[in-house]
Amino acid sequence: MNERFNRLVMPHLDAAYNLARWITRNDHDAEDVVQESFVRAMRYFDRFRGDAARPWLLAIVRNTCYTWLQKNRPSEMVAMDEPALEAQYEAQGLSRGEGNPEVVLLQGANRKLVNQALEELPVPFREIVVMREIEDLSYKEIAEIAGIPAGTVMSRLSRGRELLKHALEKRMRRAS
Amino acid sequence: MNPKKETPDEPIVARDAAYYRAPGALKARIEALVDAEAAVAREPRARPRWNWSWGMGWMGPAVAAAVAGVLAWNVAMMKVAGHQDQLLAQDVTAAHVRSLMLDNHLNDVVSTDQHTVKPWFEGKIDFAPRVEELRDCGFPLAGGRLDYLDGRPVAAMTYRRRLHVVNLFEWPSRETSRDVQVSSINGYALARWSEGGLQYWAVADIAPDDIREFARCLRHG
Repeated sequence: MNERFNRLVMPHLDAAYNLARWITRNDHDAEDVVQESFVRAMRYFDRFRGDAARPWLLAIVRNTCYTWLQKNRPSEMVAMDEPALEAQYEAQGLSRGEGNPEVVLLQGANRKLVNQALEELPVPFREIVVMREIEDLSYKEIAEIAGIPAGTVMSRLSRGRELLKHALEKRMRRAS
Repeated sequence: MNPKKETPDEPIVARDAAYYRAPGALKARIEALVDAEAAVAREPRARPRWNWSWGMGWMGPAVAAAVAGVLAWNVAMMKVAGHQDQLLAQDVTAAHVRSLMLDNHLNDVVSTDQHTVKPWFEGKIDFAPRVEELRDCGFPLAGGRLDYLDGRPVAAMTYRRRLHVVNLFEWPSRETSRDVQVSSINGYALARWSEGGLQYWAVADIAPDDIREFARCLRHG
């Protein structure tokens, strides 16, 4: 198991850490979660078939993160149902069909602002955006990892992007 | 006009957001864990010594060593298995809690009709889950979804018990059959059993007797 685990799973340690870090938003907690995830991954490894180890590992990481959030920061888990998110979304005065957002403005957005805005996105959007745009996973892989239909992945991603743009615009206006 | 017109897949985030790499100390800790785990897996198998003692013709000590080796191996395996079961029980409970906190994640197919719920899983998982209605036992079917346990996608069926939700997780098992075992974790009652190539884990915040009744009803109607 050692050799195969090292060869298939260990290369995805950074991906595991990156996802955990974006969900927990804290280095120390991300380390704890990743370590616990690897303990689980080792235990489950003999039942792992196929070679897509990255989504397999990330699904374990994500579940471990959620269990950790429930235990340590339940408040972040409360408003996660779609209607509540929709309400929050409407309250920010964003209509979904709003075309041609301020691309020019956003291209000047600096790294710090983007990181802050992404960190403030509610978890269900944040994790999808991170998996798609930072980790470059396919819709299908994300759907498997998050246990949601591919259509939900797409709608959360597009809403997540809009929320992010909105947050960035606000920050940049404040900054300028 | 900006020439770089944004397409749906041209993100702002990927360009500017941080990629957090695992710190070296974490990597070292995990590598040590992997080594330790591999050592545990190796050690019991090295125990049976019949290879060398066989040739010595000392059948007494050879048999004794072999028996001791096999015993040690079994005990080690039982420990590993026991630990895995416990870990799995924790994960099942965590999956149950998670399903209740994420309002939209309790059911992907909402129906009290097994003929609606069962086909929903077709093509989504590599086995046919068992779906029963159980209304007569006081556990009406509420729906189903996919979940992730034991390192694989599993079928999750939800049932109602008055105001409580029962999650029933199903996935293929190598065990042929195993009787119902009831346990509890943090006030949640769990029942597990194997039957017909599938293993079942039921969990809810109901009394252990109720979860046992749920299992009985599902298995024997």
